[in-house]
Amino acid sequence: MNSRRAFLAGLAALAIPRTSWADAGNPAYLAAAKQGEANFLHGLTETGISLFSLPLPSRGHAAAAHPTRAHAVAFARRPGTFAVVIDCARGVETARLIPPKGRQFNGHGVFSADGSILYTSEVVAETSQGRIGLWDAATFARIDEWASGGIGPHDIKCMGDTLIVANGGIQTDPNDRTKLNVDIMRPNLTQLSPMGEILTQTDPPELLQNSIRHLALSPTQVAFAMQWEGDPAEAPPLLGLWTPGSAPVLCPAPEQEAFRMKGYAGSIAMSAEQIAITSPKGGVAMVFDAKGTYLASHERPDVSGVAALPSGGFLATDGTGGLSLVGAAGLTRISQAAVSWDNHLVAI
Amino acid sequence: MRALIFALLALATPARADFPETVKDHILPGYAAFESATKALADTAAQTCVAADIAPAYHAAYDAWMTVQHLRFGPVETDGRVLAILYWPDPKAQGAKAQTALLTGDPAKLRPDTFAEQSVAARGLLSLERLLFPADPLPADPCPLIRATTADLARIAALVNADWQNGFAQTLATAGEAGNPTYLTRPEARQVLFTQLATGLEFLGDTRIGRPLGSFDTPYPERAEARASGRSQRNVLISLKSMRQMVETLTPDAPETIAAFDRAIGLAETLNDPVFAGVSAPASRLRIEILQQAVEKIREVVLSELAPEMDVGIGFNAADGD
Repeated sequence: MNSRRAFLAGLAALAIPRTSWADAGNPAYLAAAKQGEANFLHGLTETGISLFSLPLPSRGHAAAAHPTRAHAVAFARRPGTFAVVIDCARGVETARLIPPKGRQFNGHGVFSADGSILYTSEVVAETSQGRIGLWDAATFARIDEWASGGIGPHDIKCMGDTLIVANGGIQTDPNDRTKLNVDIMRPNLTQLSPMGEILTQTDPPELLQNSIRHLALSPTQVAFAMQWEGDPAEAPPLLGLWTPGSAPVLCPAPEQEAFRMKGYAGSIAMSAEQIAITSPKGGVAMVFDAKGTYLASHERPDVSGVAALPSGGFLATDGTGGLSLVGAAGLTRISQAAVSWDNHLVAI
Repeated sequence: MRALIFALLALATPARADFPETVKDHILPGYAAFESATKALADTAAQTCVAADIAPAYHAAYDAWMTVQHLRFGPVETDGRVLAILYWPDPKAQGAKAQTALLTGDPAKLRPDTFAEQSVAARGLLSLERLLFPADPLPADPCPLIRATTADLARIAALVNADWQNGFAQTLATAGEAGNPTYLTRPEARQVLFTQLATGLEFLGDTRIGRPLGSFDTPYPERAEARASGRSQRNVLISLKSMRQMVETLTPDAPETIAAFDRAIGLAETLNDPVFAGVSAPASRLRIEILQQAVEKIREVVLSELAPEMDVGIGFNAADGD
């Protein structure tokens, strides 16, 4: 950077102070919610108290939180035509991201660990070929685009300076999300280098119709949640563990519990000791240990958002407005509000 | 204890139909009847192993299950009980395979405590059906397995009924009251019951009727439920009648929903195709498709009329699916 640009950047930084998460009250999680006909992005504490609720232009799906600045990027539901950047401390929309022509957001995004780049999960609208969009996290200008390594990428997460992509494998109609290729879909997990090259990729799974959609990461391992597109009379595993470079391992629930998920894991979270997956369709949260051994199932209608608590266990949100604590021992209700919590609860 | 629950329910009961009435007039009688019917079945099987002599009690138990099978929450979900009662559909015939191993294997596995740990696919009503109405001669005397299976059904039915009577009925009926650990508000109870109805109707149309229908070019008559004992049509009819009765306990004010049920019930009653064998021939297939459409129509009316009446909806996230 030349000195003049550095000078101007310095001026800009002085003119608009960059707010930190502390300025927003130190929320632990972000969650979108529908309240009446309006949509909001909430910042929640570890005990589920809403510190702020900021208006969203439409129903949200997931959000991405900047690692230090109080910036949240809220993604619209698929087919995503925009995402909004919200300064959660000042309560204002600071930017609106529009995908390039012919691209659509796919509901998820993540900031790089140093906070300099925002990655977005995208598809070529006409074909569902996966793309990763790169945006300058300071200006939110589009800077690059990579191939995601598959069809229909959904969740993406950073592992060190690499990017893990859940290529769900499903080609959808660009207008109405109708699934077009369920008979021939081939989901995969892909690890991309900081330059966007494919470092490693899983082989097509044994069950091709098990769409890999959501991710939770430890420093070395990827836990992935799936959605079954095959015969609903079967209940294949919906959780898997992947150490990049080796083959993924599926983590089945016992036969008497497996059907309760209705073939659908909507969200996933991982703590040091446990993994939780949720099924709003089945109204069930399932808990596994960190090695993927089944521990317990708990009933909760429309449960979906889930995130690990620093003290162990998980916080879960549901579409009826409930917040619950989830662990191997049980599910404990915390609160009930007149909102519909949306699919995902995102840890900051 | 049971008297206490009924007293509590009576106190909590407003003038109109609402979720406490559903507990009192639909759920509890249904599970009590299922316990009685399975006990009678086990008692009969303890006396005789002649299939024709057990069949009436088998049908009565299956009938009783069909009045509550749409309820997929609470005690019936504990330890996979709902699957251990009825494991269907079973496209890979896991039940038959596991059951053959039990039929010809170590009799110690048939002891009640050990049998309770066997695969859910090898237990329940359809496992009993395979013993009472076998397609091929059985490889061993089925009598010990018939007795183990019927005793297991009675055991599970008693557990489900006891769990409802001794706690869960009160939990649901007192939704929103101080100290309720499961349902913090009254609308949550309505929501969970509405969901049972909506998913029950979906299963009826898509699976009970839809699996044998397959497609016009590829029907699957062999996929009909309880085909060997000739119960496919009867199961649909009983389920429709029971869900209709459930609606009446939820609200007095859902005339279009009741009318949609009555239309489907009329079609199911007059179908005269006990195992949906007609899916393979155009004219008879059409009548089954019309029944399926009538069931789908109920679900539409339930969403358009009953949901706003109860101030609930289909799950916010469940319906989104992403």
